[in-house]
Amino acid sequence: MRLTVNGIESEISSPPLTPLLHVLRDELDVTSPKAGCQQGGCGTCTVLVDGEPRRSCLTPVAAVDGASITTLEGVGEPERLSPVQAAFYEKYAAQCGFCTPGMIMAATALIDRKGGPVERDEVLEALGGHYCRCTGYVKIVDAVMAASRGEVGDVQDLPVSEAGEPSVEVHGSPA
Amino acid sequence: MAPQVLIPQSADEAATLYGDGEGITVFAGGTILMPELASGRIRPERALLLHASGLSGIRSDGGVIRIGAMTPVAALVDGPVPWLLSIYATHVADYEVRQSATIGGNICAPPGRESQRGDLGAALIALGARVRSAGKGGERTEAVEDFLSGDRSGRLVLEIEIDVDAARKSGASGKRRKHAHSYAIANVAIAERDGELRVAVAGVGPTAVRCRSVEASRDPQDVLEDVDPVDDAVATAEYRRQILPLLVREALDRLETE
Amino acid sequence: MKAVGARLPRYDGVGHVTGRTRFVDDVRVGKTLWVKALRSPHHHAAITRLDVSKAAAMPGVHAIVTHEDIPRNVYGHLEALGVPGDEPLLAAEDVRYLGQPIAAVAAESEAAAQAAVEAIEVSYEEKPALFDIRKALDPDAPQIHHWGNVYPHYGSYNHRRVRKGNIDWAFEKADVIVEGVYRPQAIEQLPLETQVCTVVPEPDGRLTVYSCTQAMYFSMGVVAAHLQWPLNRLKFVGGTVGGGFGGKVDTATDTICCLLALKARRPVKWRWTREEEMLCSSTRAPWHIELADAVTSDGWILGRRTLTIHDAGAYARFSPYGLTKHAFHHSGAYTIPNLRFDGFVAFTNRVPTTAMRGFGVTSVSFAVETHLNRVAEAIGMDPWELRLKNANRVGDTTGNGVTLKDPSTVPVTLAAAERVGIELPAEYRAMTSDPRGGDLLPEHLAAQQNLSELNGGGH
Repeated sequence: MRLTVNGIESEISSPPLTPLLHVLRDELDVTSPKAGCQQGGCGTCTVLVDGEPRRSCLTPVAAVDGASITTLEGVGEPERLSPVQAAFYEKYAAQCGFCTPGMIMAATALIDRKGGPVERDEVLEALGGHYCRCTGYVKIVDAVMAASRGEVGDVQDLPVSEAGEPSVEVHGSPA
Repeated sequence: MAPQVLIPQSADEAATLYGDGEGITVFAGGTILMPELASGRIRPERALLLHASGLSGIRSDGGVIRIGAMTPVAALVDGPVPWLLSIYATHVADYEVRQSATIGGNICAPPGRESQRGDLGAALIALGARVRSAGKGGERTEAVEDFLSGDRSGRLVLEIEIDVDAARKSGASGKRRKHAHSYAIANVAIAERDGELRVAVAGVGPTAVRCRSVEASRDPQDVLEDVDPVDDAVATAEYRRQILPLLVREALDRLETE
Repeated sequence: MKAVGARLPRYDGVGHVTGRTRFVDDVRVGKTLWVKALRSPHHHAAITRLDVSKAAAMPGVHAIVTHEDIPRNVYGHLEALGVPGDEPLLAAEDVRYLGQPIAAVAAESEAAAQAAVEAIEVSYEEKPALFDIRKALDPDAPQIHHWGNVYPHYGSYNHRRVRKGNIDWAFEKADVIVEGVYRPQAIEQLPLETQVCTVVPEPDGRLTVYSCTQAMYFSMGVVAAHLQWPLNRLKFVGGTVGGGFGGKVDTATDTICCLLALKARRPVKWRWTREEEMLCSSTRAPWHIELADAVTSDGWILGRRTLTIHDAGAYARFSPYGLTKHAFHHSGAYTIPNLRFDGFVAFTNRVPTTAMRGFGVTSVSFAVETHLNRVAEAIGMDPWELRLKNANRVGDTTGNGVTLKDPSTVPVTLAAAERVGIELPAEYRAMTSDPRGGDLLPEHLAAQQNLSELNGGGH
């Protein structure tokens, strides 16, 4: 079996019934799709299979032999965020970040197939199978709508902190 | 023990490999079986994967719409199928799961541990759909309600047939939890053709059921003579008994020209 | 104050939106073994036989641990606060909840580990189980915990008590007594990231623990206690948590992974399935809360009697602490001069319960605020006015004897009323948190008890 993942073609040696999720994570070390529930219920393993969003945990790898797979790593680079990524970053639509890979893949596919501004009910329908336990969805929906309208700041100008180090000076106990 | 995986390249090869179905686990879209596999609850000896078997697609053949068993539920949402089937397809799971889930898998799925399955069954019965399947004794075509009430374990579904003029008018009503992955608590589908009603209910028991009492009397209360609702994690039997006549009434009131 | 009110970039924001954030499950270490646990299939049973020898001999199996492998099996999550330990890391004699771990296997793959778990020979003798906290104190209730069915270590009492003022006086003087029962249910925290841990044995004899814990140094202490190791042999790597909401305060996986890594001399990883997370991980506790308020017809709450029962599940964990917080908050944001609070931590054969967003407080706040609406209805008073009248004021004393210096009930309530367009009478709109006096003095109380006694009242 062969898969093209984020533009890189690989020979796959996992058994044919292995979920695409585990092929990506454990054979190819592509770790943005998460094992949130492994039963199709949470959405965080969502990837694009030939452009269509699919649950990678529900997909036996043999069923997508030869397909082109896009994961969050393939959507944009830290220095070159896609509009959806930039909107999620700018609008604080990720809190713990665990659901974010699936959210962004589903949102990217929605905007691609609509080809223009998407409305709130379309976002709710497209993300209806995606769980976020932190944010309460409002910021996520706002970010998707903004991205579809190009209403994101110039991504190059978005302030970026040094990874791993908050730039806020904390005085005294945060509690 | 790693299962033997069979990937037929045509419908004929699929039927041949399937044989009488003994010891074979059929993977259609995988949306039900993959979690079972991941959790270790099923350990197939031989797995038949149908994605390459050419069983996907909707075509019109004279007066008949032929829907391949591997046609994704997503293709029913805005595909050339009767409105009654489309409307129930839009309520199956979420956008991504509908890309994988198939119509064949939907009518073959046994009830889950927590809920009933086969949300499309009521629409298919109401539309007078027929199931063409292979298995022991060769191919056969039968009414979907007969397929559902019979022993499905030895059958490989190849195709669903629906007459183009299956419904002059149709009506739908249903109750579900507000959660993308929740199966229906109760679905009612009604189709009228040449003055005759076909009424069916899904989600209240192990399979969808045709409601002949209601068809005869047009009395919503009679639905409780046709079905015996079950308790599960999404609703109690008592709740289903309470709402079913109301849903039948609603679907009858909504009967509209397709 | 550079940060308050400023739009600051999230330091982990770019990582999150590009898939570069490394969660524990994303940590890649060569030759990592997978962990699976044997869990109790019963709510309450005695383990009559446990033999792992066949499982240990299976292909791909590198280590199995049971209670015999743990230097200190019973350790309490709150021993540092004086709450004695009651919960074994791996069950030895009894299992007290469905899903309780008994043994854990490290093997080459998840499937091999699961096969070995199924090959462990174990027998049980089932015992009667208890699920309803309201029955825990009944004389004929199944006895499910070696301490009895309630947690007994609140000083010389078997429950948390608050006593303030003269409760009998309050109920004698009341025009109306309003009673209510509130039963908030269990809730699964349900983080999208299930419990997960990777432990790597280092060449220098230390262990590196990649932990999804919400409380790093706490987990470190728990692991060190079970292992009977000094802290400096443990290196914890954490901080990136895929959701916790309280459920990852419990040290669920770290210790067992450490034991297996030491025994197998290989890195090990344990990632719970969603089903394990739902069935076996701790939840927010269910509670049974009975309130009775002694109220005057013009809206003074003279006294409150409270009986509360907290469902700890099978073991104490943090429950005694949760109940103490519950006790602090049982009068809400209001000053009630006479209080009598009795709170019990009851054991049941449910999964142990733990923190979730306002541990112990959310339950009692729900009860108190719902109850105040009932009180308002009973005496025909506007619920906003009832709250303002009884609001905490500077100089008031709480049930546990704290004199309030800067209470916020009045300004917050007024602001909330304004936000939702509630028009309050001028005398209420003019209220502040200033010490009680003038027309809003609780004259009923003043007539019977002097304020200094109230404010300094018994604890």
